[in-house]
Amino acid sequence: MAPSLGYLTLWLSLCFAILQFITSFKKDASSIPQFHKIAAIGLLLSTFFSFFSLMYSHIVSDFSVLNVFQNSHSTKPLLYRISGVWGNHEGSMLLWILVLSAINYWIYKLYNGTNSIFVSKALQMQAFITIGFLVFILSASNPFERMIPSHPNGLGFNPILQDPALAIHPPLLYFGYVGFSAAFSLSIAAMRLENDHKIPWHKYMKPFVIAAWTFLTAGIAFGSVWAYYELGWGGWWFWDPVENAALMPWLLGTALLHSLITVERKKSLQTWVLLLAILAFLLSVIGTFLVRSGILTSVHTFALDPARGVYILSFVTLLGGYSLGLYAFKSKNFFNKDYFSFFSKEGSILVNNLLMVIVCASVFFGTTYPLFVEIFSNNRISIGEPYFNSTVIPIMIPAILVMGIGPVLSWGKVDSKKTRRQIFTSIILTILATIMFFSFYRSFNLFGLVGIVLSSWIISNVLVTLFIGIKKESDKKTLSSVNCFKHFNGMIVSHLGVGLLILGITGSSIWQEENITRMKVSDETIVKNYKIVFKEINKLAGPNYYALEGSFWVYNEKNKIITVLRPENRIYPVTNNTSSEVSIHTNLLRDLYIVLGEGDINEGWVVRIYYNPLVVWMWIGVLIIVIGGLLALKSNLTILRRGN
Amino acid sequence: MIQKNLLFNKIFFLFLMITLAGATVSNISYAVEPEEFLKDPKQELRARDISKNVRCLVCQNQSIDESSAPLAKDLRMTIRNKITEGLTDKEIYKFLTDRYGDFILLNPPLKSSTMILWTLPFVLFFIALFVLYQHNKNSKLR
Amino acid sequence: MRKYFLSAPLIIFFCMMIVFYYFLIIKRDPSELPSVLINQKAPMFETTTLFDNKPFVFEEESGQQVLVVNFFATWCIPCREEHPYISKLSKEKNIAVIGVNYKDDSRKAIQWLNELGNPYSKVVVDSNGRIGLDWGVYGLPETFIVNENNIILHKQVGPITNEKYDDFIMHIENSIK
Repeated sequence: MAPSLGYLTLWLSLCFAILQFITSFKKDASSIPQFHKIAAIGLLLSTFFSFFSLMYSHIVSDFSVLNVFQNSHSTKPLLYRISGVWGNHEGSMLLWILVLSAINYWIYKLYNGTNSIFVSKALQMQAFITIGFLVFILSASNPFERMIPSHPNGLGFNPILQDPALAIHPPLLYFGYVGFSAAFSLSIAAMRLENDHKIPWHKYMKPFVIAAWTFLTAGIAFGSVWAYYELGWGGWWFWDPVENAALMPWLLGTALLHSLITVERKKSLQTWVLLLAILAFLLSVIGTFLVRSGILTSVHTFALDPARGVYILSFVTLLGGYSLGLYAFKSKNFFNKDYFSFFSKEGSILVNNLLMVIVCASVFFGTTYPLFVEIFSNNRISIGEPYFNSTVIPIMIPAILVMGIGPVLSWGKVDSKKTRRQIFTSIILTILATIMFFSFYRSFNLFGLVGIVLSSWIISNVLVTLFIGIKKESDKKTLSSVNCFKHFNGMIVSHLGVGLLILGITGSSIWQEENITRMKVSDETIVKNYKIVFKEINKLAGPNYYALEGSFWVYNEKNKIITVLRPENRIYPVTNNTSSEVSIHTNLLRDLYIVLGEGDINEGWVVRIYYNPLVVWMWIGVLIIVIGGLLALKSNLTILRRGN
Repeated sequence: MIQKNLLFNKIFFLFLMITLAGATVSNISYAVEPEEFLKDPKQELRARDISKNVRCLVCQNQSIDESSAPLAKDLRMTIRNKITEGLTDKEIYKFLTDRYGDFILLNPPLKSSTMILWTLPFVLFFIALFVLYQHNKNSKLR
Repeated sequence: MRKYFLSAPLIIFFCMMIVFYYFLIIKRDPSELPSVLINQKAPMFETTTLFDNKPFVFEEESGQQVLVVNFFATWCIPCREEHPYISKLSKEKNIAVIGVNYKDDSRKAIQWLNELGNPYSKVVVDSNGRIGLDWGVYGLPETFIVNENNIILHKQVGPITNEKYDDFIMHIENSIK
């Protein structure tokens, strides 16, 4: 019953989307909002029902549904039966459509009586996108396809994907990708209206962009968290095409986020914003297509039939051709003649934009270049981590330097003396922090120095900005906790998060140490100042697996036990997969990361122990960035509500 | 004046980073087994560096240093043998590409076909600098 | 000037789409590598035969006729599926097929061939994979066509299946010419 309901509501969604699209063509603009109300709410409700029908089928393990059969098993824990809904191609497309409908509804909510034409054009574009995906899913990726006669049980699910971080990773990413669809639609609408100055289109765009960017940041972070904790290599970023596919919209989203500020304040960089809004969404879709199309090797698990790939590619070509064509002709209406000094806030944001775009182009080029080489020379080359590290990092460094002073600069002209004093203070703080760090942590390394300097630079600037803001309150005699907290705005918090993130990245990349050795039970070994003793090996059973678990007692230099680490090697009988579960002890200074390798009771086991400094600061940093994003979102929504 | 200094610092930093960024930042391995280690730690480090640049052909996007596949292990052993035989890094890479093609390298070689790849980011960077400079000049005129 | 910059994204976009279309249409497998040894001299090797442990020098066997060299192993399931086609090949075309037993247990291999039949004119042992390494083998089974001038003319990665059989025969016939 549920699958039929799901399929029906999916068709219903298509009808509502088509209604929304066609209504926007009406000449009499006054009646459009009412039709759009029906369409937007109808679309949201029907996709909601469709999605939850699929989820219901998964939860009750209805194996007559092909999607459930292919991806689930009765022994799968409930949490992963739920997350398994979007852990496959068809289900993830349905989630994509649900989020599109939600975004569609929020665009609809922008109607305020004076902006009908604008919002209707935005909704028309959004409807077109939704129709494109709905047609795709109904014709080529139907999640409600039945399997008659049905099997008593399913094929199971890859065990390394059964993880809480990976469970929440796709929804967060999709809120990000699809969130940019709003920016895309609003950009199209603005260009079609040829910059009707009464419409503050950038004000509408901003909350969507902030929300999309924040969720995308969180989604990417969870992907890295999962890779670190699950894959057993201690790595968290591999420049794999699927990671690059998420990173590129993020980079453009960051540029977009910052440029919206200049458009708001000074009406400059409008053409940049329009283009970035288009590209961010286009890259989201292209990225999704690329990693499923089978034309690149990637660790992504979804494989796509090339025929389906042609459909998505055609759809993207249509979207991209129309949007970029519109841009080529209409964006000249948005030129702004107000040049600004390079050494101003707008200047720093422009620098940020350019550098983010260059890094994005680098990543894109690196990911797709092998295809070009193959066409023109029949040679196969491959591009991996070394290339990306060598090109992205040198360009990010100036970007981070500018990021430090950007917030300190003022709009338009620059009050040189005051600014110079602020920058000078930051430089002093940076030098002090760096010296402090290296006197505590005596392992000197050039890259490490760069990383620590950059991290301290950001954090120092944040502290200086905060201090100045709070000092202003004190001067005005308005010093109170409320007024002080006001200064912890989205930007300050997010920038602080970035500083901490850089600290974590530097520590974990530069000062890692390892000990790989073969150990028999009761052997001991040393990593850094820790003594590790292999106490025992046990067999145990989990809900859908059997495991061999090693117990390792960790002693510090005072010979006190700090923790017991228990890495496991698991076998999942249903899918006949094995996985290695890492055991980690975390504190603010370092992670102790241990992996149990191959072996037996006679020869002993291969044990890999890694000492990873400052890893937890990456996760803390990203958490703070996300908090900053949410703060910015909250304040922007308030402004939007007030303005409307 | 401040603008020029900033620009210069950027360029200087850039060149510094390019020359240094080629090196990998850490030498941790995720799949090497203790029995594979070379006795001489310097040679072992060389083996790691080379391995990080060699793709595991039967895996998806991993270096042989990170993969536990049998072919990866064979290649790791071969590289270590060649190091102890006294071959240079270049010769070892040539040994591998003679048999498996350029695809086995994770760092694409600097050939005429890959020139664009390596130079594009920096070309773009200089174009960006030029754009900023023009912009700055125009704003000064106002 | 600025107007041309505004069209740039559109043009770059279309170029990228054309590249992607091309790859979708030709349907190639991204994990399958073209061999760099095509049209190069076949790597020489010396080893022992599987059945009677006699020395085997590849140089002596090649250079007289068209040869097919097939890398296989008992632990490789597609090799088992490919086996009937190798047999068909050696009978039909009256061609010498040399089997290289790659990183395998010799006893198991002899058993395997006794059970399934031995299509090879000679079977040799590559116990540590060195020969495979020199020939650029990365996944079994892999089959090479070597002409009488000792040049590798064709490489088949993966099993010779029903669909691929005729294509492979055609390559052999082209080598004989």
